[in-house]
Amino acid sequence: MEREVELVVVGGGAAGLAAALKAREEGVGEVWVLDRNEEPGGILPQCIHTGFGLHYFRENLTGPEYIHRFVRRAREEGIVMRLNTMVLRLTPEREVVAVNPQEGLLRLRAGAVVLAMGCRERPRGSLLIPGGRPAGIFTAGTAQRLLDVEGLLPGREVVILGSGDVGLIMARRFVMEGIRVRAVVEQLPYPGGLSRNVVQCLEDFGIPLLLRSTVTCIHGRERVEGVTVAEVDGEGRPVPGTERRIPCDTLVLSVGLIPENELSEGAGILLDGRTGGPVVDEFMRTSLEGVLACGNAVTVFDLVDHVTLTGERAGEAAARYLRGELPPPRGVREVEPGENVRLVVPQRIAGEGPVTLYLRVSRPLREVRVEVGGRSFSRKAVRPPEMVTLTLGREEVGELGERVPVRVEGLPLER
Amino acid sequence: MRMEEFEEKVRADPSLSRVSLRARLEEGTLFLEGETDTWEQVVELGHLAAGVEGVRGVVNRLWPRGLPRPERRREPKGRAPWDGMRADVVVVGAGIVGAAIARELSRYELEVVLVEKEEDVAWGQSKGGASWIHGFAGMDADPSSLKARLCVEGNALYDRWAEELGFPFHRPGLLAVVMGEELVPLLEVAAERVREHGCPVRVVGREELHRMEPGLPEEAAGALFFPTYGVVAPYAVTLALVENAVANGVKLLLGTEVIGVRVEEGRVRGVITDRGEILTSFLVNAAGLYSDEVAELAGSPEFTIHPRKGEMLLIDWKRAGACRHNLAPGELSEDPYTKGGGISLTVDGNMLWGPTALEVPHKEDTDTTREGTERVWERFSRYLPSIRRTDVITAFAGVRAATYTEDFHLAPSRRVRGLVNVGGIQSPGITAAPAIARRAVEILKGEGLELREKPSFNPIRRAPPRFRELSDEEREALIAGDRRYGHMVCRCEHVTEGEVVEAVRRGATTLDGVKFRTRAGMGRCQGGFCTPHLLRILSRELGRPVEEITKKGGRSRVVVCRIKEPLLRG
Repeated sequence: MEREVELVVVGGGAAGLAAALKAREEGVGEVWVLDRNEEPGGILPQCIHTGFGLHYFRENLTGPEYIHRFVRRAREEGIVMRLNTMVLRLTPEREVVAVNPQEGLLRLRAGAVVLAMGCRERPRGSLLIPGGRPAGIFTAGTAQRLLDVEGLLPGREVVILGSGDVGLIMARRFVMEGIRVRAVVEQLPYPGGLSRNVVQCLEDFGIPLLLRSTVTCIHGRERVEGVTVAEVDGEGRPVPGTERRIPCDTLVLSVGLIPENELSEGAGILLDGRTGGPVVDEFMRTSLEGVLACGNAVTVFDLVDHVTLTGERAGEAAARYLRGELPPPRGVREVEPGENVRLVVPQRIAGEGPVTLYLRVSRPLREVRVEVGGRSFSRKAVRPPEMVTLTLGREEVGELGERVPVRVEGLPLER
Repeated sequence: MRMEEFEEKVRADPSLSRVSLRARLEEGTLFLEGETDTWEQVVELGHLAAGVEGVRGVVNRLWPRGLPRPERRREPKGRAPWDGMRADVVVVGAGIVGAAIARELSRYELEVVLVEKEEDVAWGQSKGGASWIHGFAGMDADPSSLKARLCVEGNALYDRWAEELGFPFHRPGLLAVVMGEELVPLLEVAAERVREHGCPVRVVGREELHRMEPGLPEEAAGALFFPTYGVVAPYAVTLALVENAVANGVKLLLGTEVIGVRVEEGRVRGVITDRGEILTSFLVNAAGLYSDEVAELAGSPEFTIHPRKGEMLLIDWKRAGACRHNLAPGELSEDPYTKGGGISLTVDGNMLWGPTALEVPHKEDTDTTREGTERVWERFSRYLPSIRRTDVITAFAGVRAATYTEDFHLAPSRRVRGLVNVGGIQSPGITAAPAIARRAVEILKGEGLELREKPSFNPIRRAPPRFRELSDEEREALIAGDRRYGHMVCRCEHVTEGEVVEAVRRGATTLDGVKFRTRAGMGRCQGGFCTPHLLRILSRELGRPVEEITKKGGRSRVVVCRIKEPLLRG
């Protein structure tokens, strides 16, 4: 099937739905959302815990509750939702080629495109954990899907490697289901997930968190029979003599998320090596004209509320672009991550403001000063898992130079 | 070296002073028994023994003190309906070699049974993701050795095989690259040695080399170019061979392990498996890593397999452009028994780096190690500096079935008539497989097997459709015929439900079975997204509860049960 569509949104999760709804609200007539899953909502339908929407709705919602509000509104607003629909490629001319069982190949010539593919989990292979290749090794998200969507128990005794939020959430979820969680193992000296999750998911359930440790070997031929855990030195290398074997039938990995950008790469969109996502400006414009990006495809956010907000920004910009009202990117100022800054989004400032910057620090700090292009903001404490959000008003943006260095200073924070 | 010299040499070596060794030579087979301190000594003595005059095979029963001996439990698991059936030939082992022999035999009016202990084919040595189709057997190989001859012969047969059997095959050639100007003059000398094997080769100077392979670093000063080197996925070749063999009447018994051989009056009379007996007068032993044990079960030990592990790294196909030819370091390998590995282009666009070579006591030792993966990275990353560590998708390991003579053991048993051993098929075994199959059939004929050509033999096997490799028009046509080809289940490798269903129809019963047939789960997310989908499809297509679906047979269940089930069971 071939047709022209004003706006095509790739991905029907929190970012994509927010973009689609905002664009509709801004008067875009035809909005198509393409999603490869059989249900809309991205990852949220399987996130049955609470903690969603505290900022955006000022309510404490579960993942399904949160996303259901958007899905319902999308239906009411007449947004075209194509599920089981996988986008195969995006061309620089904004042709979106997708496939689904009902229509076969879809060729959509889009007036504008919003990329909202989200992120995927780092698998075992990328860590090169030595040992066998038995059944019973899952990423946390896959284990979550098996448990909370498919209704299947992935194992009976679990070790979790990595203390990212999904891993912490799953530790608690396993215990609730009668699965024994032997330990959560984290290579860094501090947990990878939000502090509230460390307390509510591990401490409240008496699950041991082994910091400065890693899994050095996976045992088992057919099914996992155990893992060897060892302490690591400052460079992350296992310390000989500290190995101990922990019996388990399942190893769950929560070792990081990677923005999913095969489509962006295929279209020749400029990516940022730090975030793994497209380089964007505050309108969420990518380097390709008429193509915007939002949510975890841009950078992995800590909270869904931020994902939604970037989606809305992209949706609004797409609508303005389609009306020919989006200012062309002139006099672009480059945001430059400096000391203690792991990444910043957006990477470019193209307009007059206001601009919200999202940044992640590279280590935990207290009594913090964040400097942005000469302006200084103070924070009590910052941690790598939690994003720092700063908003620059029009006046502040007006004062920025061509280059906008961002640096963070503070004292070391011990947990 | 004579037998006495060998024994004297062992006695005189102070490092072997604690070795207790009893050696005897019987009809060309040298038997070693006793104890050593280390596994390295076992292997060293085995290799040394292979150099004794008149030795055609070494049976090495030496074992290090204190190291538990692995025992494969071979016991009956029940009685299959086919128990007591008759066959003209039983082939043991559905790796590439056994499959090739079974398919070759299916040209004739014969009842052929192919027996495999695993739940799928190609799960031993042939599971590797990429193999070169070598132009020759290597710098260290004697051009008159069996493996050298069969390698050259096999290479020439691959184009026809690929065409008939529909497996992916191409010949990107191989560049053996030297780093440093001082090595360039040696290239012509090396080329002469290669030509003795009958393998085309030419010297490539710096400029041409960098034109051919722009990703190489400055230090790359020249190379030997071998235009006939090809690439296949060994499991894909094996799957194709087995499908074609079965289509031509071969009976395939999976999950069936040989636990004995009935020998009467010095002749094979039957093959006893853990699920029943097959009456036959001819047994082809292509049991790979276990070929020595199968020979032993027949009462005819003639060689011992010593497992040699190799570790490899798989590089994302996003980096496919980084390299256009297979690459090998233009240096002699530190280990005289391997060619040292290289950078392989796979038929799917990934690169595979490695393998390493490490002698290990256990045949099932496919564990990856930190040292092994580091060694591969260090050895090969200097050739392609643009590849980053984040481009590595995964590491894995395989085990080669080497004999101590380090040559193929392709011969009728000297003690038991009707038994043909096809052991010690290590590299370049994949290359040689078509030639090995022909040779094995000739040997069977020589042993008295009657061969009458079967007019109905059809050499053609159609490959299943692969969505990822089709044009948009072909995709539309495919989906119009079956909507399931429009449902993407593996987003990294673009594998559709239709392809998974077809894989099940062709014999996949496990996640790995689907993965090796379709690539679902082989990509950068390593099965994170597709596993739940595949479980559902396998469960539906096989009519089995989802909790019974395994990764690779046996006890490798993917999930343990439905949630709340423990509560229901009390």
